Amino acid sequence: MSLHSATRLIPRLTPKLALKFVTRFALFLPGLPALADGNLVDRVYDPYVDALETEIEWRAVGARDSDEPELDGLWQHRLGVGYGFSDRWFGEVYAIGEKQPQDDFEVEAVELEAKWQLTEQGEYAADWGMLFELEREFSANQWEAAATLITARDWGRWTGSANLALEYEWGRVSEEFETELRAQARYRLSPHFEPALEFYAAEDLLGIGPVAVGSWRLDGGRQLRWEVGVIQGLTSESPDQTLRLLLEYEFF
Amino acid sequence: MKAGVRNLVTIFIAMLLTVLLPVLPVQAARPELQIEIRDHLFYPSVVKVPANTKIKLVVINRDPTPEEFESYELNREKVIMGGQKAIIFIGPLAPGVYPFFGEFNPKTAQGKVIAE
Repeated sequence: MSLHSATRLIPRLTPKLALKFVTRFALFLPGLPALADGNLVDRVYDPYVDALETEIEWRAVGARDSDEPELDGLWQHRLGVGYGFSDRWFGEVYAIGEKQPQDDFEVEAVELEAKWQLTEQGEYAADWGMLFELEREFSANQWEAAATLITARDWGRWTGSANLALEYEWGRVSEEFETELRAQARYRLSPHFEPALEFYAAEDLLGIGPVAVGSWRLDGGRQLRWEVGVIQGLTSESPDQTLRLLLEYEFF
Repeated sequence: MKAGVRNLVTIFIAMLLTVLLPVLPVQAARPELQIEIRDHLFYPSVVKVPANTKIKLVVINRDPTPEEFESYELNREKVIMGGQKAIIFIGPLAPGVYPFFGEFNPKTAQGKVIAE
């Protein structure tokens, strides 16, 4: 069965149906422990927004660490649905779950995200955007708000992106400011395969590693995007290695 | 401010300056070209542009339905609502041919930019 015919089996999703799916996932079970924080890689955002596009996104990070039993074997999953409300604003809602090494998988938080494209792609020396996030952990009554400056620039077939996040956490577990820097250098080799290098710096994380990105265009304006990477920790607080995975289904 | 935060801010500011300083004066007038979408076709479908120059493309969608201007070679994708227009900046391009298409009507809406 070809990829095209296989994808025809995917039901036609509407933004409403996708949102219902994620909400049900989020309500599955509130968990007990607090989410891993400050030591897991995420993803590097670009500043662009596609109007009218709906996306369903799953991303996961799995950590390995010989020094920290709590991190060794930890998996964090995000399932989100997003929509481009205009050519400037994109909104997404996520359910976030974790599988601690000694515990079962639990859905522990929800997150709202809004991306604001500030400049037209290619108009200035660099392209700019902002990302606003609000996350709530059910069990710990813990909140986190973040504002992230996003920039990107092309050098021929190379694209460089950087995200600088300022985060504030409050609630029962902790109250603090944190910052995070994420950066990516990506070579646009072909739509199906683009090699990249990513760098992460956060409270308890300093890491760098290779990433591969690609997409498969389907009929009817639909697209599958994937990302795979392994981030090597550079300090003792960082996980030794972190595997990061992303799969997005985009449609209009 | 913690030392770690200070370091991150310093690194980021240094990155921004590296990116921006060589190109701040780039706001000169740019060549402007116009493309229309009619009946799911691009007019003109072949656009010649000067190489190594940033170009402002004004894409006017005369159809009542939205269309997406898409090109991997130009690294651009932009949805243009029905009856509206969008501005797409391309280049500077090395001499060559850069195909583009309409994501919602890829069989008919096709074109190319030729940089020379």
